[in-house]
Amino acid sequence: MTLSRLVLRSMRKNVKHYYLYFFALIFSVTLCYSFTTLHHNPTVVEALKESGTAAAGFQSATFVLYFIITFFVLYANHLFMKRRSKEIGLYQLIGMTKGLIVRLIALENIILFIFAVALGMVIGFFSSRLFAMILIKLLKLDLVIELVFSPKAFTQSVIIFSILLLVILFQMTWMVYRVTLLSLFHASKKADERIKRFNFFQMTFGLLGLLLIVYGYYESSILFDAEKSLFKDIFLHMLVILASTILGTFLFFRYSVSFIMNIFRASKKGHLKIRDVMAVTQIMHRMKGNAKSLTLITVLTGLAVGIMSLSYISYYSSETRARQFSPYDYTLVNDKGISFLDRLHQEGIEFKKDTYRVAEVTFNFQDLVGDITNENLTFSTESSMYVISLSDYKQVVPDAQINEGETIITSYQNMFSEVVPLEEGGDFSVQYHNEEAKFVLKEVQEKFMLSGTITMASPVLVVTDTAFENISANQTSESSFNYQVGVNLVNSEDIPKAEEIYTDIQEERKLVVNGQEYLPLSYEEEKQGYLSIYGTTIFITAFLGLAFLLTTGSILYFKQMSEAEMEKESYTTLRKIGFSTSDLMRGIYAKQAFNFGVPLVIGLLHSYFAVKSGWFLFGTEMFTPLVVTMVLYVVMYAIFAVISTQYYKRIIKASL
Amino acid sequence: MTVLVGRKIKKTYGKKSTAQEVLKGIDIEVNKGEFVGIMGPSGSGKTTLLNVLCSIDHPTEGVVEINGKNLRNMKEKQLANFRREQLGFVFQDYNLLDTLTVKENILLPLSISKLPRAVAESRLKELVKLLGITDILNKYPNEISGGQKQRTSAARALISSPTLVFADEPTGALDSKSATSLLTNLENINKQKSVTIMMVTHDSVAASFCSRVLFLKDGAIYTELYRGDKTRQQFFQQILNTQSILGGDGYDA
Ligand SMILES: Nc1ncnc2c1ncn2[C@@H]1O[C@H](COP(=O)(O)OP(=O)(O)O)[C@@H](O)[C@H]1O
Ligand SMILES: [Mg+2]
Repeated sequence: MTLSRLVLRSMRKNVKHYYLYFFALIFSVTLCYSFTTLHHNPTVVEALKESGTAAAGFQSATFVLYFIITFFVLYANHLFMKRRSKEIGLYQLIGMTKGLIVRLIALENIILFIFAVALGMVIGFFSSRLFAMILIKLLKLDLVIELVFSPKAFTQSVIIFSILLLVILFQMTWMVYRVTLLSLFHASKKADERIKRFNFFQMTFGLLGLLLIVYGYYESSILFDAEKSLFKDIFLHMLVILASTILGTFLFFRYSVSFIMNIFRASKKGHLKIRDVMAVTQIMHRMKGNAKSLTLITVLTGLAVGIMSLSYISYYSSETRARQFSPYDYTLVNDKGISFLDRLHQEGIEFKKDTYRVAEVTFNFQDLVGDITNENLTFSTESSMYVISLSDYKQVVPDAQINEGETIITSYQNMFSEVVPLEEGGDFSVQYHNEEAKFVLKEVQEKFMLSGTITMASPVLVVTDTAFENISANQTSESSFNYQVGVNLVNSEDIPKAEEIYTDIQEERKLVVNGQEYLPLSYEEEKQGYLSIYGTTIFITAFLGLAFLLTTGSILYFKQMSEAEMEKESYTTLRKIGFSTSDLMRGIYAKQAFNFGVPLVIGLLHSYFAVKSGWFLFGTEMFTPLVVTMVLYVVMYAIFAVISTQYYKRIIKASL
Repeated sequence: MTVLVGRKIKKTYGKKSTAQEVLKGIDIEVNKGEFVGIMGPSGSGKTTLLNVLCSIDHPTEGVVEINGKNLRNMKEKQLANFRREQLGFVFQDYNLLDTLTVKENILLPLSISKLPRAVAESRLKELVKLLGITDILNKYPNEISGGQKQRTSAARALISSPTLVFADEPTGALDSKSATSLLTNLENINKQKSVTIMMVTHDSVAASFCSRVLFLKDGAIYTELYRGDKTRQQFFQQILNTQSILGGDGYDA
């Protein structure tokens, strides 16, 4: 038989084993190529031009994507080579040299790979338009995307995949040469774990694993609570959390699971139920070998969901953030561009306006928060803050009430309130023009009214009208912000026209304070700015998340496929001695619930605690974005569990 | 009392053009308490016949009834339950589950029955004592010898107190000492508990333990021998003679 015929025959026999690897390969190439193509699409390039970080984001995401896919393809290839060890052994037995076998498999791999890459690129090219449309939609832009072939993206991808192919061939060669004939036949029989009545070592490490995870969670909950934590350096702190949860996860899979199952199994004294036979004993049997990959999957899941949640939180909070920075649809500062109002009148656009007199004070945060021991939060406790009068404040909070000497701190947003919570009822002093006044903090509010152009995102102090007059008396109008007009449209249909006018008088609106030029933005402009940053971010992270999902799901599926095949003989025996397909499937459901469910649940827990520890740095709302991300992830992940279960079903059905 | 009836059993493998008729219309009746051996050259259809009789495989034509029940009328689930509750199996290559201990393997058929644990435990005790595997209960299959594996397999076949036990070349992979010991065990169980046993073998020594031996040739029953009052040695001689008439080809024992 000629070499090519042998290859063809063995390939045809292998398609069944290969087809998922093949699809995974195609899918990876599709993802990679459409991402690169998208990255070079002129419309997208145009849309992202303003944001310098977007381009950099795309660039680094491409590298991460390549990394994930390289890792994934190597892993899959490794797994499939292991599965084919019998076949390779057989070739050797019939007298083929290792060199010939390598050439044989290399040929097979090259054909398969080229085929997958070509197909993936074609699909990737067309799907890049879809992805571009999603991106434009996320950015809330109104653009038409054209399919454009990018020679640059093409060459880049071809180069990357050629390198990947070389790596795979190298890996394959190494695997073929490394193994002895004998070990080839036993490759699938390694890593047994047998039942032990009670194992002190296992129990200790099992417990340690759980403790490490809980400890990591605990530390994450006090990430910004410097008083409670041993670790003053926030990066060290994060590192400790990461290390302890990852190590804990590994110990959990390696020891805790076996320990719990051992106790369970020993308690049965040999009288197992069929579900135990199909699930518990099989899981125990393979735990030693599977612990590493289950840990990997858990960590990847946690990472993917965590990152996607955080960027979704950012995106989700875009409008709220824009509202915090531009509480009014349009802001005019220090009477600059006041002609805006006349123009609105002329156009017949209805609006409401609020006016604020503003004064600046400095004050000491320390008075209100006590000790700030966290070394990483060394923002100067001596900070400046803007003051408005109670009557101006009443424009937005009509029933607000304070007495002489009392204050309200408002616009104290999420991020600050989580990291530095203020104590209501405390007293503090403010300084202005060599004078000092003492106030009692009556309450802390989240209401926003001053433009971020003025406040630079620091909170706003509300004082009684008399106190305000005192503070503002000495302030000259030229050297500082002292007046704000806030305009809200009555009808949102007027937004485009109003935006036009607002842009029109841009020059008039500019103001110079302390030698620096400022230009207040409208709410719409602000929102668009946030959307373009976070829209790109969420797009990129979702793309990477998809790659992670593909990787974790496929790794699990591959593993389950080979387990199913290894267990086929047991299924035959079980069915012969009188277990029906549905009896066995009950065990399979339990086993799949474990293999897919446990890494998922722990991974989600990891991401929950990770997100919870710092979400407020990213946005203003945690719950909805987190839940939406998790649900989407779980649904897509479940697809792999379902096809894996179907695979088992097929194997079991065919086993008799 | 008849436990097992097979009528006009035919089995054909393959599609029309390449069809191979392995069983060509076999009639068989087995009475309660019998120890029936099936002999024949390799490829004569012994395993196929046994599989068809024990409901693991379906006949192309013909009827199989066990305890008066026609297997053809039963669904997959019913058949499985029936096998688990009424039948026991001993296979040539043991078919033990590697991940289970000997004890867990033996108790496997009871793993979805509602039998109280104490009853199962006492049955187990009795069986393992009878088969001499009490000491290895907590070992794994790869830690015990072939003979011990096959006795474990026999214990698993008997744990559910089946009315009928099927054994396909149970001694095929054993040395003669282990084989004799297993066969003696089976004979004892057959006599003491009046369990009906049907055993495929190509070993005349093994067949001499039976109370009746059927000879299969080219998918049909060629002849049958009853042991009657003969000693095992005499019966063995008679089996050898029949085999030589049948044509020794294909006998590797
Ligand atoms: N699943 C099958 N498909 C096709 N032919 C089979 C199958 N099983 C057995 N045969 C054929 O049926 C014949 C009888 O096989 P078998 O019953 O295993 O013989 P024995 O057990 O007597 O050695 C053989 O020729 C064998 O090739
Ligand atoms: Mg046979």
